[in-house]
Amino acid sequence: MTDISAKYERLIQDLRQDFRPQREWGEGRGVFLVVGHFLVGVAAGAWLFGLIFSYLPGLIVGFVLAGAGGIAHLAFLGRPERFWKMARHVRTSWIARGFIGLSLFLVGAALYLAPLVLPNWLWDAASVLAWVAWAMAAAGMVTLIGYMGFVYTASKGIPFWNSTLHPVLYMAYALRGGAAALLVEMALLGVPDGDVVATLLKIWIAVTAVVMLLFTLEIQGALTSGNAAARRSVFEMFAGRVAIYFYGGTLLVGLIVPLILVSGALAPLGVAILAAIGLFSALGDFFMKFATIRAGVYLPLRARPVRGR
Amino acid sequence: MRWGMVIDLKRCIGCYGCQLACKAENGTPPGVFYARVLKQEEGQYPTVRQLALPVLCNHCEDPPCVSACPTGASFKWEEDGIVDIDHDLCVGCRACMMACPYNNRYFNDQPQHYFPQGMTPYEEARTERHPQDVVMKCNFCRDRVRAGKAPACVANCPTVARIFGDLDDPMSEVSRLIKERGGFPLHPELDTKPSVYYLPP
Repeated sequence: MTDISAKYERLIQDLRQDFRPQREWGEGRGVFLVVGHFLVGVAAGAWLFGLIFSYLPGLIVGFVLAGAGGIAHLAFLGRPERFWKMARHVRTSWIARGFIGLSLFLVGAALYLAPLVLPNWLWDAASVLAWVAWAMAAAGMVTLIGYMGFVYTASKGIPFWNSTLHPVLYMAYALRGGAAALLVEMALLGVPDGDVVATLLKIWIAVTAVVMLLFTLEIQGALTSGNAAARRSVFEMFAGRVAIYFYGGTLLVGLIVPLILVSGALAPLGVAILAAIGLFSALGDFFMKFATIRAGVYLPLRARPVRGR
Repeated sequence: MRWGMVIDLKRCIGCYGCQLACKAENGTPPGVFYARVLKQEEGQYPTVRQLALPVLCNHCEDPPCVSACPTGASFKWEEDGIVDIDHDLCVGCRACMMACPYNNRYFNDQPQHYFPQGMTPYEEARTERHPQDVVMKCNFCRDRVRAGKAPACVANCPTVARIFGDLDDPMSEVSRLIKERGGFPLHPELDTKPSVYYLPP
């Protein structure tokens, strides 16, 4: 059986199901969208903490990751050569808003970083242009942190993503990813100040707690007030086709291992442990997004409402 | 004017005539079904019955696919309320597919043909209308409608289970059937105001 006919047969099988799984985002080329959302979220978080702690490598990594996220988004598109048309419908489309935010961020960050990184650059870091660039990057950063969750919430066809908590959860993930990125950087490149790492670690723990709380609330909401499709998605995540990514990636790699490392039970908090915490945390975030997206199933079409799972 | 469709579930026998007529009219590649028929079982033994539920794009008055589209490729014709896609604008982000509560959009991401020998001349002629790597959907056979004909699925329904007309006209057959027979749309709770109504079986 060729790839094309296998895909066709799978679609036919999917169409016959009450709960048709969504495969466009998260499978095949759709993985690039998950990668793109993950990288862009981490980038915005890294930029935010880079600004807060005045940590230049954090800003640079934020810029680089945002660029990589943009490329991943392009790789996902069916017609990437038309990407610029995505700014046309900003009035209602969250994807268009995200595109504007990413463009603002990349341009602003590049202009802001240039005088900080390159000696004798055309303009000074304290110039008006640098301030304008800072403001552009900040506006882009806020948009990037905020828009992703709304993209999913606006997806009326996938009830699991329709939660009002989803945008807040994605904002928390961006902060957790940013803190993780800076932890890795500070471990590898050296720490500006011992207190900074301790503060960052506290932020990471606090944001992780918030993420856990929000995720629990979202699942609880889907199970208690969600419809049959939302409950089916929860089932897919906990006991279905994406359970392996959730338990292995999100829970074990992204939560249990970093928390054990933070506790100091395995080894005292050193450079390598800090880097490991950041890396595992980021990996877990990726799998969380991957599992959530892959668990999505379409609203079933019935002449009468569907009861139960 | 707002074109709409009423599907009488009591008359529909699930023959797939609409699905085939749509395929023949639009020449859609394998894996793309502008119109399809879902077969569902209802009730519990021994009072079980099979229900055929024909589905297609609902051409919503407030279409979430149009709001989600970042380029404006998904749009609604002002003059007749038909929701359509401008394939020259579509970037293939598939946000509209996630936004559509009726999952009646398809992503045409590879060259496909029905027979192992390759494309037939008919398929080749039809493929030109379907660019690759963009999203595709039903547009109520707008070219036919503008020429004064009914959509292919309506014209070819052997039991006349599909009725097409102007929902804005209270005297039209579709408006009358919806009113008299208690026509209902799919997922009214989402407030998308679909233009496809069903008459109870």
